Amino acid sequence: MIRLPQARNARVALFAGLTAVTMVGAAYAAVPLYNLFCKVTGYGGTTTVAMGEAGAILDREMTVLFDANTSRDLGWEFRPVQRSMTVRVGETALAYFTATNTSNRPVTGVATYNVAPFKAASYFSKLECFCFTEQTLDPGESVEMPVLFFVDPLIDEERRMDDVTTLTLSYTFFESEGDAASSDAAP
Amino acid sequence: MSADAATHDDHTPSMWDWRRWVLSTNHKDIGTMYLVFAIFAGIIGGALSGMMRLELMEPGLQFFTGDETFWGSVFGNEHNYNVATTMHGLIMIFFMVMPAMIGGFGNWFVPLMIGAPDMAFPRMNNISFWLLPASFVLALMSMFVPGAGGDMGFGGGWVLYPPLATSGHNGPAMDLLILSLHIAGISSILGAINFITTIFNMRAPGMTLHKMPLFVWSVLVTVFLLLLSMPVLAGALTMLLTDRNFGTAFFDPAGGGDPVMYQHLFWFFGHPEVYILILPGFGIISHIVSTFSKKPVFGYLGMAYAMVAIGFIGFIVWAHHMYTVGMPVDLKAYFIAATMVIAVPTGIKIFSWIATMWGGSIEFRTPMMWAIGFIFLFTVGGVTGVVLANAGVDQSLHDTYYVVAHFHYVLSLGAVFAIFAGWYYWFEKIFGVKYNSILARLQFLFFFVGANVIFFPQHFLGLQGMPRRYVDYPDGFAFWNEISTYGYFIMLVGMVLFFLVLIDAMIRRRKADANPWGEGATTLEWTLSSPPPFHQFNELPKIK
Repeated sequence: MIRLPQARNARVALFAGLTAVTMVGAAYAAVPLYNLFCKVTGYGGTTTVAMGEAGAILDREMTVLFDANTSRDLGWEFRPVQRSMTVRVGETALAYFTATNTSNRPVTGVATYNVAPFKAASYFSKLECFCFTEQTLDPGESVEMPVLFFVDPLIDEERRMDDVTTLTLSYTFFESEGDAASSDAAP
Repeated sequence: MSADAATHDDHTPSMWDWRRWVLSTNHKDIGTMYLVFAIFAGIIGGALSGMMRLELMEPGLQFFTGDETFWGSVFGNEHNYNVATTMHGLIMIFFMVMPAMIGGFGNWFVPLMIGAPDMAFPRMNNISFWLLPASFVLALMSMFVPGAGGDMGFGGGWVLYPPLATSGHNGPAMDLLILSLHIAGISSILGAINFITTIFNMRAPGMTLHKMPLFVWSVLVTVFLLLLSMPVLAGALTMLLTDRNFGTAFFDPAGGGDPVMYQHLFWFFGHPEVYILILPGFGIISHIVSTFSKKPVFGYLGMAYAMVAIGFIGFIVWAHHMYTVGMPVDLKAYFIAATMVIAVPTGIKIFSWIATMWGGSIEFRTPMMWAIGFIFLFTVGGVTGVVLANAGVDQSLHDTYYVVAHFHYVLSLGAVFAIFAGWYYWFEKIFGVKYNSILARLQFLFFFVGANVIFFPQHFLGLQGMPRRYVDYPDGFAFWNEISTYGYFIMLVGMVLFFLVLIDAMIRRRKADANPWGEGATTLEWTLSSPPPFHQFNELPKIK
């Protein structure tokens, strides 16, 4: 059978068109892949969530600094109870942050967080954190929010981490978007 | 259909028949329309840069004052300065360089050089072109509708980073710009599909891929880059659009998104994009250097695969545009190394051009002057590029005028000089009339001096720490800014000369030769008359 040139052209065009469509898909696939990549590598200071305590407690000590921020229009005062803590690697420690709603309406906030230096972020393990869930504060209400964490003892086995003596845990509170939308819709 | 085509062969439709242009399916007519469009857009983009250079001539606000004075009412306020930088970038990239190189020269000479009668999908070619004016109108409209608060236009830079592109500009200007770029992207992708099909399926008998002229190779690599990168921009822009209007939070940390992810997506498109702008220029320069040295191009296969290599590496270096977002040092090390590797295939090209000239019987005709100007200026831009590739150095130079100088050396001076080189190389072939080469050389002189006077001092400003995208600056930067603006005026004279060349050629109408360049011009387009017949290669040429 003779192959018409039109058929050949259509085939190449189809492949090229599918490539373009695939690349649009790839752009969207980047969203979950990017999240996964951050979790696995600690890229951008992403911390890990631990299920149980660390197996061993080492003699090596780390200074953990705490940093608290809010987005401009949140209307909360948010600060760490303690500026810094010295913990042994593998030791489970508890730190507190306080948040006060200084606005005159109930506000639901959600916190993003990271650890600097970024390269050590994946060794910072949280057992329990207020940042895992949304927090709602009534006007004038003040709460203490705990973070239960440890520094993974594996950090001691990585030569690249030998220079890490200080970890900074930073939080930024934003107003939860779902909440803002529903409060708009509410009468 | 064949009977219809036969009658068409006999006569070229009249210049003044609007259907010839609006309904055109002829690759040469569409190419010409692309070139005219690019000139038109270039005037607007160039005028915007003139507004910026005027403002920056002296410290303080003289033109973008935003008050009731003449200049204040014409130029607008400080926000409009940022709109000018944004639109200058977008217009020059999407509506000047890309239409001229790919749409204009690509449409004209890819079919001619591979011995094809036309493009594979002539009607799609028509759509590709006509989407572009629509897109351009939307982009221009966005300058005159509210962007941020009461200020007109989008002023967040051509990279359109959120949050400035989402919550920072609540007006419709940004939405129009997104729509405009979507349409320009569709136009490019359709064009890319057309070129790929044409180049793969419609080469004349005997023209294997390894015998294909380098310009065709360069367009082939370029359209593959377009096909792979443009949809990613479309995706990122769609995310911006839904973030703005439909409550998604792809780039909004409050909803679990990440603004830095936009930067990754954007530069995954943006870095290949800069090679899209320059690669066809590489092809054009190869032909010109070979023609006027009367030698085949040195290292043909190396030249072709250097472009393939540049295209490939172009996809894996994007984060060197974002060293300052806070990357782990190991990741930076990778992007530094990968970026510097690009200098190898680029070096192969530069040295091969020089080796082509070496021992050749060189004639300094007009296109050759532009081509040598290109090689010199592109190399300067390439060297500063290697400097900027270092994350440590970039930490200090990021978003300063050093970066502005760097990318204008490779684009404004590199890509634009390549366009003018191609313009004067193929002018007679396209229009069928000769041009005044003395005027054209004079234009080169003014462009070469002017462009260097504009952009070389910007290296100094950048090293002194002057940031880009600001309407005003401290007095310490005044001297080199003033010099830079003088350079703009010199280049403006060159621009006037460009139009004089056009007008002169239009009035005198001296009949062009089929091959004005002699034995050095060996590609197929020179075997045809100037201008070529409306339909060519009804009998396919045989390549030995």
